Amino acid sequence: MMDAASQILFGGLFQGSLYAMMAVGLALIWTTIGVFNFSHGVMMMLGAYIAWQLNAWSIPYFIVLPLAMIIMAGAGWLLQASVVRPMIGRPNIVLVVVITTLAAASLIENGALEIWGPRSKQLPTLIAGNTEIFGIGVSLHQIAIIVITPIILLALWLFLNRTRLGLALRAVAQNEDASLLVGLNVTALYGLAFAIAAALAALAGIFMGGYRFMSPVMGADPLLKALIVVVFGGLSNISGPIFAAYLIGFFEAICSYYFGLYWTPALLFAVLILMLMVRPEGLFGSRARGLA
Amino acid sequence: MDWKREAALVLVAFAVLAFLPFVVPDSYSRHVLIMAFIYAVVASNWDLSLGYGGVFNFGHLALFGIGVYAYGLITKFAGIDPWLALVLSGAASTFAAIVVTIPILRLKGIYIILVTFGFAQLVMQIILSQSDYTGGTQGMVRIQTLYIPGVNLIRDGKFGYFYVALAILLTSTIFLRVLVRSKTGASIVALRDNEEYAISRGISLVRQRVITLAASAFFTGIAGAFYAAYQRNASVDVFGMSLATIILSMVLLGGTSTIYGAIAASFVLTIFAEFMADFGAWRPIITALLIIAVMLVYPAGLAGVWTHISNLVRAKSKKP
Repeated sequence: MMDAASQILFGGLFQGSLYAMMAVGLALIWTTIGVFNFSHGVMMMLGAYIAWQLNAWSIPYFIVLPLAMIIMAGAGWLLQASVVRPMIGRPNIVLVVVITTLAAASLIENGALEIWGPRSKQLPTLIAGNTEIFGIGVSLHQIAIIVITPIILLALWLFLNRTRLGLALRAVAQNEDASLLVGLNVTALYGLAFAIAAALAALAGIFMGGYRFMSPVMGADPLLKALIVVVFGGLSNISGPIFAAYLIGFFEAICSYYFGLYWTPALLFAVLILMLMVRPEGLFGSRARGLA
Repeated sequence: MDWKREAALVLVAFAVLAFLPFVVPDSYSRHVLIMAFIYAVVASNWDLSLGYGGVFNFGHLALFGIGVYAYGLITKFAGIDPWLALVLSGAASTFAAIVVTIPILRLKGIYIILVTFGFAQLVMQIILSQSDYTGGTQGMVRIQTLYIPGVNLIRDGKFGYFYVALAILLTSTIFLRVLVRSKTGASIVALRDNEEYAISRGISLVRQRVITLAASAFFTGIAGAFYAAYQRNASVDVFGMSLATIILSMVLLGGTSTIYGAIAASFVLTIFAEFMADFGAWRPIITALLIIAVMLVYPAGLAGVWTHISNLVRAKSKKP
C-alpha cells in the first residue's frame, strides 16, 4: 500500500513537472499573442540537440544548460520574426500561423535530421546516480526535474506578475490596442514571449534527453501532451495549464498503476472530452477571453 | 458563375485529365497522377469543413487513415467484396466524423484544432495498440486490391487504377460543388460568417456542423480505402504531421472556399514534389520553405500568385 502511494506520488510529480515544462511555453505564447505555436515540440527537440552538441564540444554541463537556453531564446525570437510577426493583423491569423509554424516544424525537424542524423542520442543526466525513497528506486535526474521545475515556474510567475516587463507582456495579452496606446513596444514583447517560450522548451527537451533517447522526431509526442494540458487547464492565464499539468501527471500515474499503461491515453482522452463538454473554457479558465 | 457553365468547364477539365494516360504512357508518371488525384480528394474535402464550414478539423487526415485501415480490415477479416468495402470505408469515416463532432459542438477556433488533433492521435494510438489486427507499427501488408473481372487494373501502366482514381475525384468534386451551391451549403457558410445571426434565422448549428463534417468525411474515407487498395499496404504514417502539413498546405495554398483551388494546388504540389525527388532529404525542407514563402507573400495562396503573374503579363503587353 505504501508502495502504491509512493509510486503514484513520485510518478505524478515527475510526469506533472515534465508536462508543466512542456506546456508553459505554449500557454505563454497563446496568452500573449493569441496564436498557437505548432513548432513548440520541435523547439524542445532542437534545445536538446543543441545541448547535446555543446556537451559534445566538452563544455561543462552547468554552462551548457544556460547556454542552450540562451541560444534557443534567440531561435525562438527568430521563429517569431520569420513566420509569426508578418501574419499579425490578417483576418485568418490563427489558421495561417498554424500552417506556418507547422511548416517551420517540418523545416527544423528535417534540418536536425540532416545535421545530426537519425541515430538516437542521449544527454547526460542532470545529476548522475540513483537513490531509494519510500521503498522505490528513482534516479536523481528525475528528482532534479521535480525540484527544478517548480522553481522555474515560480520564477516565471514572479516575472509575469511582479516585474514591469512581465506586466507589459500580460498587458499585451489582455489588450493589444491599449498597450500600443500607452507606448509599449508590442513587437518586441511578442519576440520576448517567443524567446522565453523557446528557452522553456529547450529546458523541457534537456529534461527529456536525460532519461530517454533523443531523435529528431522526439518533439511530436510532447507537443501533443502540451496541447492536452493547455486544453485541460484553459488558456486564460498561465497558472491554469500549470495546475492542469500536475493534475494530468497524477491522473496518468493513478491510471497506469491501476489500469496499465495501455489504457491510460484512452482514459485521459475520454476525461478530456467529457471536460470539454461541461467546461469548454478549461478547468481553470475563465470565460473572459472567449473561446475564439 | 452560373451552374451550367461551371458544369461544362468541369467536364472539359476532367475530359482533359481522362486523356492524360494516352500522353504519359509510363507507369511512374501515372502513379504520380494517381497520387495527385487521391490528395486532391482529401484536400478538397478538407476545404469543405475548413474553408466553407470554418471548422478547423485537424483530424481530417485521421478520417483518411480510418478509410485506409477500415478497407484493410474489412477485406482481410470480413472477406467482403473490395468495391463494397470501398463504400463501407467511406461510411466508417463518416461515422468517425460524427463521433468527433460531438465534443466540438460547443467549441470554437483553436479549441477545435486541439480536440480534433487529439482525436487523430487517439485513433493512431488505438491502431498501434491493436497490433494483432492492424500490424501495429509494422502496418498492414498484402491488402486486397480492387478488381474488375477480366481486367487487370495494375496492367498497362496502371491504366485501370488511373481511371478509378479519376472517377473518385470526379464524383467527389461534383458532390462537393453541388453541396456548397445548395441551400445547405449557404447555411454552412452563413454559420461561419455570422454565427449568431445565422442561428437567429433558424439555422441549427448542431445539425449543420454534423452535416459539414460527415459530408467532408465520406469521400476522404473512400480516398483512404482506394489508397490502401492501390498501395496494398497501410501504415500509421498517414496520421503523421508531415502528411497533414502537406495536405493542409494544399488547401491553404489553393485558397480556401473554392474546392477547385485545393484540387489545383494538390496537382501543383504533388507534381512539384516529384520534380524535386533528386533533392532527397532536402525535399521536405524546400517544401516547408516554399509554403512559408507563399503564405508570407501571397495571403490568398496560389490564386494570388496567379493574379500577380497575369497582372504582370498584362502590364508588359500594354507597354509598346
